[in-house]
Amino acid sequence: MQTIYDAKISDYKTISILGHCFDNKAMVHLAKHLPTAELVAIKKFNLDKIREDIELVESEIILTRQLSHPNIIPYITSFVAGPEVCVVSPLMAYGSCRDLLTRHFSEGLLEPAIILILKDVLSALIYIHKKGYIHRAIRASHILVSDTGQICLTGLRYACPIIKNGKWQRAIHSFPNSTEKNLNWLSPELLQQNLQGYSEKSDIYSIGMVICELANGSEPFAGMAKTLMLTEKVRGCTPQLLDRTTVPREETIECGGDTDISANVLDRRFGRDLHELVSLCFHWDVDMRPSASQLLSHSVFKAVKKAPPLPELLKPALPLSDRVGYDTEEMENFDALAKMSQLEIFSCEWDF
Amino acid sequence: MSRDMCNTSKSLDSESADISDQEREVTNVIFNSKDEVNSIEDEENLFINDPNNADFDDDLENLNIANFFHKVDSDQIIYQKKKRRLKLIGKYVMGDLLGEGAYGKVKDMLDSETLCRRAVKILKQRKLRRIPNGELNVQREIKLLKKLKHKNLINLVDLLYNHEKEKMYLIMEYCVGSLQGMLDASPDKKFPQYQAHDYFLQLIDGLEYLHSMRVVHKDIKPGNLLLTLEGDLKITDLGVAETIDLFAKDDICYIGQGSPAFQPPEIANGLDCFSGFKVDIWSSGVTLYNITTGLYPFEGGTIFRLFETIGKGDFDIPNDIAEPLRSLLVGMLRKDPEMRFSLRQIRQHAWFISRPPCSSPPVPIPPLRDDALHKMTVFPYLVEHYYHDPNENSSDVQYFTEHELNEMEKSRVDSEYSNGNANQSSSKHNRRRSKKPVSCISVKNFPGCNQS
Repeated sequence: MQTIYDAKISDYKTISILGHCFDNKAMVHLAKHLPTAELVAIKKFNLDKIREDIELVESEIILTRQLSHPNIIPYITSFVAGPEVCVVSPLMAYGSCRDLLTRHFSEGLLEPAIILILKDVLSALIYIHKKGYIHRAIRASHILVSDTGQICLTGLRYACPIIKNGKWQRAIHSFPNSTEKNLNWLSPELLQQNLQGYSEKSDIYSIGMVICELANGSEPFAGMAKTLMLTEKVRGCTPQLLDRTTVPREETIECGGDTDISANVLDRRFGRDLHELVSLCFHWDVDMRPSASQLLSHSVFKAVKKAPPLPELLKPALPLSDRVGYDTEEMENFDALAKMSQLEIFSCEWDF
Repeated sequence: MSRDMCNTSKSLDSESADISDQEREVTNVIFNSKDEVNSIEDEENLFINDPNNADFDDDLENLNIANFFHKVDSDQIIYQKKKRRLKLIGKYVMGDLLGEGAYGKVKDMLDSETLCRRAVKILKQRKLRRIPNGELNVQREIKLLKKLKHKNLINLVDLLYNHEKEKMYLIMEYCVGSLQGMLDASPDKKFPQYQAHDYFLQLIDGLEYLHSMRVVHKDIKPGNLLLTLEGDLKITDLGVAETIDLFAKDDICYIGQGSPAFQPPEIANGLDCFSGFKVDIWSSGVTLYNITTGLYPFEGGTIFRLFETIGKGDFDIPNDIAEPLRSLLVGMLRKDPEMRFSLRQIRQHAWFISRPPCSSPPVPIPPLRDDALHKMTVFPYLVEHYYHDPNENSSDVQYFTEHELNEMEKSRVDSEYSNGNANQSSSKHNRRRSKKPVSCISVKNFPGCNQS
């Protein structure tokens, strides 16, 4: 960032609410940095609401500021204003992948889009693992998309260090705090909480979950009782991409009750490579599960080199900046608009 | 909630060598015919009579003992295999036994919302009333745990009551075992110095926090130091802890209630009042001595003899304990509380500051019922709950007799002997006792006395 962003609230004019994150304990605002007239996102944590989770916020800011990678969200600055901790980051104009799924792709993204997103997420993950951290919260709402289609990973408040007392630990045993919302993405070895422990390969399992989430429109085990989800995972149930190779057509027609699965899902077909990638991520034997860099060398990423840029693949979704425009008049209109359509806006997760 | 009384064949299998379990089996005898199937509350290892009858001990006196004990053949004692029925306490799913103390059982537990593993200490008010100061100690402990929060102190996560059953559920952080349990299972009953150093640092951190909150623990010993999965040490059992009054001018205490072998000379000599904080320093010193040497600095066949030796304050340190650990032990075990190290002096001590080199592999956490990984015991209940067809239940109830169990146990022991594992099975009794992370009546737990 060449421009200088000062750590004072008066430099930022809040335009509207983009969404909430962290179990509604934090709000993300669209704001204009007045000295440069650039749009930024400000995440505001209300200290009265977060209470004991203050450590999470603190560690997230410290860790994010220590990392520097094109696919990890940078924090431009952070400061305390009144009762709130404010974190300023670049505006990611498409929002999170969760938003994209909720608003435009309820049955999942196109295969090339999934692979492009995955590629960037894996690059970020290689970097994070190399730095000695396990992310522990890889999910679509923690994957943000910029107006140019750049992918940024976020949600580092759940990350934990692999290095303890100066030594690289073979196994980690800590159970993340306030992780209720991430449980569906977590690996069986992490959830089991026994002396076996888990490693950075736990993130790879979550990558598998994210592929399913991006492809199917919702994460596997969504809406299921947490204890049943745990039981299914520990018994070795591995989720799949839903397409005509995995959803038996006859059954759904006969049953008639399975109205959840649309004809579109039954007709589509994901590449064999992508199916294989998913099953690799869910490998029960942690040693057999590939690392992030091994995954990135998978043939699925070679085929996508000719794919159109991500914004093309995300149509009809539009980046926020295009929707708002830069002139002040429209921005004021947007403020009013935002208030009117707050229902829609509140339903999305902008988790910077 | 009268339900099937027995354990699964697996747990019976592994525990029936234990004396306490045998007691249970014998006292479960009620039938005279094979047609009857016994039903006793699965948590109450009580007697033939109604488990709700708390005054059973008094009734005994009025009974004719000869009428009471029948001879029953072992093949006439019938057990029913316990169904793994899911049991919820609030939002928590109940698992199997982790340990047992004077005050109650500790069981494995799973928070069904966060999926975070927990341990629950189940206290029965009926049982507490029979222990001197039982209810008082428990209330004091709960009050203390609620206001204290530190990485090296057991955290009370939740507190639930069942007024009908007069039970209290203290839901705490999950711990895999106590230092005592690890020592008992290790060949030399001690840790390599670097491992002891790791635990000792955490003990001092926790103790410093307690003292800063004006709390004297009074019962520091390896049995009251638990380990989490991550290897974090947690000080537990504040049953006899004392809070120094906010306006008191010093840390004078008047009552000592801890485990005899860990008591300082001032208590052994029966002083009316003494410095509370220095009591904890002393027992931490005895703990450090114990976990690094496998011995106790003071021993005696009876409490009287033990207190006599402690009162003199003379002890030996084995020759293989070199400096700087030697001088730290001497400093912490000074007879005169005034001269005894303070927490600050301990922190500045050379042994505390520098970590000893990794010499040998660390002493591991011993397996629980043959499970080295300490897997969630809640899991089988969840599987049963989610995948078992409730309509099948009636037909596949399994029965087996005491006789069959004994035969199974015999063949198991035989095979163990032939495999040369005799040592393991003979130490079984000790090992199980050591798994009791909760012990509030410390006089019952008297490791120092057993040895001479």
